[in-house]
Amino acid sequence: MEATIEIRDLTKRFGKVVALDRLSLTVEPGEFLVLLGPSGCGKTTLLRSLAGLETPDEGEISIGGDVVFSAPRGISVPPGDRRVGMVFQSYALWPHMKVKDNIGFGLRVQKLPRQEVEARVTTVLDDLAMGGLGERYPSQLSGGQQQRVALARLLATRPPVFLMDEPLSNLDARLRMDMRSELKRLHHDTGATTVYVTHDQSEAMTMASVVVVMNEGRIQQMAPPGQIYRQPANVFVAGFIGMPRINLLAARTLGDGRARFEVGDFTLPAPGAPPNAKVFVGARPEDVMLSLEPADDAVEFQVYAVLPAGPETIVHIRRGEVTLVARETRQLELKMDQSVWVGFDPAAINIYDGASGELLPPEGGSRREAASRMADGGRTG
Amino acid sequence: MYLVLVPLAQLIWRTVTWGEGDRRLSPAAVEGEVTGFHWMEAFSGPSSNAMLFEPLANSLFTGLFAAVFALLLGGVLAWVVTRTDMPGTSWLRPLLIVPYVVPSFAIALAWETLFKSPRIGGLPGLYETVLGFGPPEWLSYGPTPIIITMTIHYFPFAFLLICGALASLDSQLEESAELLGASRWTILRKITFPIVAPAFAAAAILTFGKTIGTFALPFLLGQPVQYATLATRLFSTLNQGLDALGYILALVLIAITALAVYASSRVLGGNLNRFETIGGKGFKGQLTRLRNWRWPIFGATAAVALAVAVFPLLLLGYQTLMLVDGFYGFDNLTLHYWIGESDPELAEGEPGLVRNDVILGATWITLKLAFISAAICSVVGLIIGYIVVRDRGGWIAKLLDQISFAPFLFPAIAFAAMYLSLFAEARGPIPALYGTFTLLVLISVVNRLPYGVRTGTAAVAQIGRELEEAAEIQGASWMRRFRQIVLPLATSGLVAGMLVSFVGVMRELSLIILLITPSTRVLMTVGFRYAEEDQVQLGNALILLVTVLTLAGQYLVWRLGKGRLARLRERSG
Ligand SMILES: Nc1ncnc2c1ncn2[C@@H]1O[C@H](COP(=O)(O)OP(=O)(O)O)[C@@H](O)[C@H]1O
Ligand SMILES: [Mg+2]
Repeated sequence: MEATIEIRDLTKRFGKVVALDRLSLTVEPGEFLVLLGPSGCGKTTLLRSLAGLETPDEGEISIGGDVVFSAPRGISVPPGDRRVGMVFQSYALWPHMKVKDNIGFGLRVQKLPRQEVEARVTTVLDDLAMGGLGERYPSQLSGGQQQRVALARLLATRPPVFLMDEPLSNLDARLRMDMRSELKRLHHDTGATTVYVTHDQSEAMTMASVVVVMNEGRIQQMAPPGQIYRQPANVFVAGFIGMPRINLLAARTLGDGRARFEVGDFTLPAPGAPPNAKVFVGARPEDVMLSLEPADDAVEFQVYAVLPAGPETIVHIRRGEVTLVARETRQLELKMDQSVWVGFDPAAINIYDGASGELLPPEGGSRREAASRMADGGRTG
Repeated sequence: MYLVLVPLAQLIWRTVTWGEGDRRLSPAAVEGEVTGFHWMEAFSGPSSNAMLFEPLANSLFTGLFAAVFALLLGGVLAWVVTRTDMPGTSWLRPLLIVPYVVPSFAIALAWETLFKSPRIGGLPGLYETVLGFGPPEWLSYGPTPIIITMTIHYFPFAFLLICGALASLDSQLEESAELLGASRWTILRKITFPIVAPAFAAAAILTFGKTIGTFALPFLLGQPVQYATLATRLFSTLNQGLDALGYILALVLIAITALAVYASSRVLGGNLNRFETIGGKGFKGQLTRLRNWRWPIFGATAAVALAVAVFPLLLLGYQTLMLVDGFYGFDNLTLHYWIGESDPELAEGEPGLVRNDVILGATWITLKLAFISAAICSVVGLIIGYIVVRDRGGWIAKLLDQISFAPFLFPAIAFAAMYLSLFAEARGPIPALYGTFTLLVLISVVNRLPYGVRTGTAAVAQIGRELEEAAEIQGASWMRRFRQIVLPLATSGLVAGMLVSFVGVMRELSLIILLITPSTRVLMTVGFRYAEEDQVQLGNALILLVTVLTLAGQYLVWRLGKGRLARLRERSG
């Protein structure tokens, strides 16, 4: 039941719009891969190309070792023969068919005997806790139930590859949370290679075994969720992932061997950064350390706004033109306009090339090690 | 393609060659040889004034005025009905559409009944009977009554188109202008009108295309005083066997419509397709308050509705009950023309409607024709609509869309002339279809195809692409998808479209009058013959029969439409 998906140099144009731009990607068997990116970046197009609903202009796709699409060789296997199942954003349930006929449709197309079809439909309905709803029409179901029918329809034919296009985006917030864990469970039980599209980063982070961040038809980064968050590969990913947004400061590293960078009128330590270069410094809000007293290497900022949010507090601070966002889990009594002293966790910050926006590899790996230590929970305040 | 362009080419060819019977026109005629004789004759011959230029002027005159009046009347009524708080709109709206649903010459017959003048021959009309003196002649026959009756018949057409545009107009646009202190007149002029202008222009062109191609109205009301339009002249020249000349007239008609369409697309910068699809979204916003004018305007609208929709039918109905036409008294009432046996004293021995074999036969043929044409038309329309929607932007889709729109451009009678010229005799693999039922079906289908495609397109567009793709991924073949997904989901839309075609074919006269032979008579042509022969009561009874059938069809369409809306709401809710 497991299949590898290989995509090579896939390009798809709609008139002048390049929806996919020489995109290459390998999905390992049994992986839960999430395609994440802003709206219009080509996620749906990629998924539909995998399913065979869209014909790319260039490139190759193979699923489970079989070439299903190849522009140079002129191969394009029709959707029905690709052994993929798909859940559409709109669910695409057939309104004129009962739930059980919706679910059994694919099995009847495969000409399974009638008892077999009915048995499988019943099993799938029971598995999804919908026994007894088989005789209803889709319009008589709630949004959550319709979502499950769409899933059931995919499960009934037991394809080795699941494709899902924003399957949860039409549910309300609470139901969405519940469905996340159910989908995860489902993936675990079936072991199907899954490609899951979403523009919701928290959905991506919670569900994925590997995340692919896309922009303008290209892959920006492919990595496990933790790494996407801790080490965004470029400023686009850094800015796209994380809520509140990462602090990205345009800075210049000093050439005096002190490994510091300069922003506006102050400097901060920057271990491992190349000297004398234009860079962007990326620091997540939780890596901005606030203290109420002056300290070594700390810079004085003024509190601009305090936004309590339950277990944490988001603090906006300012110095001249520079605004930073900090996330505080301690209970600090902060007042508007009071002074705070700010330092960055040197192990956690990422430094990007000022011109290309790419992550600069840390020299000697010191930052990376520090980062993984950080991820294990060792955090100094 | 074949069904539009080839007939047109054939039509042109026939105008530049000598035909079979042309020996009597010129001794030099050799059948089949190319000649400019017909065009010369038509444009500069001794009778070209009577044959071409006068009818042309008359057509333009009556067509333009009728279109303008129909637009004004339809536009004002549409505004009053959709955008104001006038009471009674729910029953006024369907009533106002009746004149368009009934056969066009029902109105002409009602007009004759009212204003017939003995000077032309026959018995006095109601006007003279009541007032004691005859109506002025310009009111009985000629351009004035033609314009008035065409206006009455076609204003609902403009009314519907403009209603659709007004209904989808967001009243918040108007309200925001009102908040800014604009007067109601300014709002109407600056906001409402520019927004609906495209629909208005499209309505103008389509209405003009209809008025100019109308045959029955100008024939019945113009013939008695030798007032001819292109459409009626076309009919009579073909009847006299002057085929080539008739075809030239048809080409002139086509040219006029094509010019009008071209001009409008230049002005509007787009094609008519776009505007025609404006469907009433049913947006109900804040309505303009008429205050003191509420009831007077209601009164006026209701009066118009009654005068154009109810009164003519009552008049015709009453007339069918008169033993001898023209005498209004109780002792003159009879059911003879409905149920009577054949009586040599009356109506040249024609039995009453329900016993009349000619009428019953024609009824059967009419129903058969309407049903078969409507069914073929909607299935073909659905398939074309499917291709147009699913292959959006593809060249096949564009081509199909354009071609299926083409019959709109041809006035019905000119279209019929094209078919007559092509199918009069066997040519290669195509048998001579003239006089066959098949030809009637063929021309009805092609003529209705723009509507069929429109309905099919709407029906397919309403089925999300993903519904079909979900089946495709599961391996369902195209046939299976079409049968099990597209067809069931399109059914309600299709049935409604079919009924519209059914009604349309049933009351069509201009299109088929040239192609009818005694074995393929339909109700409309039989009724027309009675009207021509002054068999008033039978003709009227027949018209009423067609009217009842069409109104019943229309009512069904309306009920279906409501049901479909309700179901769609349930589905999306
Ligand atoms: N059928 C289409 N026709 C034209 N342009 C399209 C079509 N489908 C997608 N596009 C364009 O391709 C780009 C990628 O679209 P899509 O894959 O739907 O993005 P996403 O799913 O990431 O929001 C967009 O710019 C979109 O406008
Ligand atoms: Mg999408």
